[in-house]
Amino acid sequence: MDIRNSSLYRHFPAYAFLFLLALFVLFPLMVAISQSFMTNQEVNRWPPKVIPTEPTLDNIHTVLTQQDLRLDLWLRNSLIAATGYTVAVLVICSPAAYAFARLRFPGNNALFAFLLVTIMIPSQVTLIPNYLLMRDLKWLDTFNALIFPGAANVFGVFLLRQFFIQIPSDLEEAAVLDGATYWGRFWHVVLPLSTNALTALAIFVFLGHYNDLFWPFIVTNSLETRTLPVGLTILNSSYAGQYRPMVLSGAVLSTIPILIVYIIFQRRIIRGVTLTGLAGR
Amino acid sequence: MSQGDVITVSSTDRRILRFPPSLKTQEAIAAYIFLAPFLIFFAIFVVRAVVAAVQMSFYDWQILRPARPYVGIDNYIELFNDDVWWIALRNTISFTIMTVIGTTIVALSAALAVTQPIRGQGFFRVLLYMPTLFSVGAVGLIWVWLLNSQFGMVNYVLSFLGVRPINWLGDPALVLPALSLTTIWWGFGFPMLIFIAGLQGIPEHLYEAARIDGANGWQIFWRITLPLLRPTLLFVTVTGVIAHFQVYGQPFIMTSGGPGRSSYTVIFYLYQIAWTAFRMGYGAAVAVALAVIMAVMTMIQFLFISRRIEY
Repeated sequence: MDIRNSSLYRHFPAYAFLFLLALFVLFPLMVAISQSFMTNQEVNRWPPKVIPTEPTLDNIHTVLTQQDLRLDLWLRNSLIAATGYTVAVLVICSPAAYAFARLRFPGNNALFAFLLVTIMIPSQVTLIPNYLLMRDLKWLDTFNALIFPGAANVFGVFLLRQFFIQIPSDLEEAAVLDGATYWGRFWHVVLPLSTNALTALAIFVFLGHYNDLFWPFIVTNSLETRTLPVGLTILNSSYAGQYRPMVLSGAVLSTIPILIVYIIFQRRIIRGVTLTGLAGR
Repeated sequence: MSQGDVITVSSTDRRILRFPPSLKTQEAIAAYIFLAPFLIFFAIFVVRAVVAAVQMSFYDWQILRPARPYVGIDNYIELFNDDVWWIALRNTISFTIMTVIGTTIVALSAALAVTQPIRGQGFFRVLLYMPTLFSVGAVGLIWVWLLNSQFGMVNYVLSFLGVRPINWLGDPALVLPALSLTTIWWGFGFPMLIFIAGLQGIPEHLYEAARIDGANGWQIFWRITLPLLRPTLLFVTVTGVIAHFQVYGQPFIMTSGGPGRSSYTVIFYLYQIAWTAFRMGYGAAVAVALAVIMAVMTMIQFLFISRRIEY
């Protein structure tokens, strides 16, 4: 018996279980993709079909051209908002994390402990006051409302601080002897050594924001600023009753950009998610 | 004095010059400048907002009415007597329990299977994590149709097992399990990755020793893997509880809280109070109550997780 057979034999339960799990993950997507190519009549039929008898592109065409649906705009908005938010988090949190990790100043520990405590406060408490602030600032329905309110990301500061602390301080001391300022030590020594942590945080923050629904839902109300998840709720409430395949095609189309990113950066994403997830421990 | 001057002086003077009081002050000033952007945003959008929420919860603050009378703890008394709040809280708790248990079992089994010395480890990891990347909108729209009572694929698959069509999202007793199933599908990938990391952290020599002692796979799992995985298990379950307690998108998209109020959740109810009834003061009271509940849960989390394990 060759090695391959024996490995398959010995680990048969693992293979079988993973195969079932893969089916569990893929089947809903397959059905949704397949039904995106069906007509209304074909979808509303029992028993349901897995393969369309006469595949049609009508649903995809309609969902992309309907006046009140702008998947292209929503995707653009999502990308602008999530990118803006990610940049804001990195710009705001990394210097703060550096100060906590490396600089001595009165109140360092007390301030950090205070931030630790605030992590226990769920973000929903801030929803109503921040919504009213957005209204008063005339920021409702602007990208500012999507980017800035969550930018002081305490978790980001924790993650980066933990990482910065591990960087040997000899490197910075050498830079000091070369005349580096605090900014120079941060910018030229610590940040270049932290690309892994910064990328991991960026991925985590970007994906979280890209998929967020509640906040974008309450602060946006025009095609110009609505994000993709908000758009999908409109697609659902306006068309799900009559045009199911079209709604499914919209849902499927909405996943394509993120799947492309995932296919390209799968290793980095998996590693980044694990790293940030474990840092929370 | 610039930092550059430091290297021109003799080595005996250097220590003195590097740590004069003025440099200490410089360091503190630099630190505050580094912190300033974060602290400004934090003060405005977190500290101010939390204080404002607590304050608002003592007022009858309705967005459409200019008068905002102080009402003391009336909002909290109303909340205590609000049947819908208790329904929403009960729904949220049962949804959370089902989802966390289901997610943990699926994620841990997946992690155990994926960490066997098998082919395609990377492939399965990437594939099983994939649904987590989708927005709740896409997940909701896909699953609401799968679970459809008349034409849904879930009922079709079950029909082969002789199960008669089930009205998943229309039956008050089944709607939360159905939303929970959707959520497990969507979210088990993340805890799976955490479990994989946890499993890889268990020293190999413990397994070898157990095998030499003649332990079988089942014994190894219960006596070695599970006890050593306890910190990871607690992390996954307690962060899961906190995450799923905030459930909102699934009922919002898939059931609108229905049938009746069978899938109202706390955040869903908060949305209704503040953004359809425009009762900001009462909404703030709901948010504060939620915060207290979740703070207690997080404190329990800290208590458990701070207990470390020794190999």
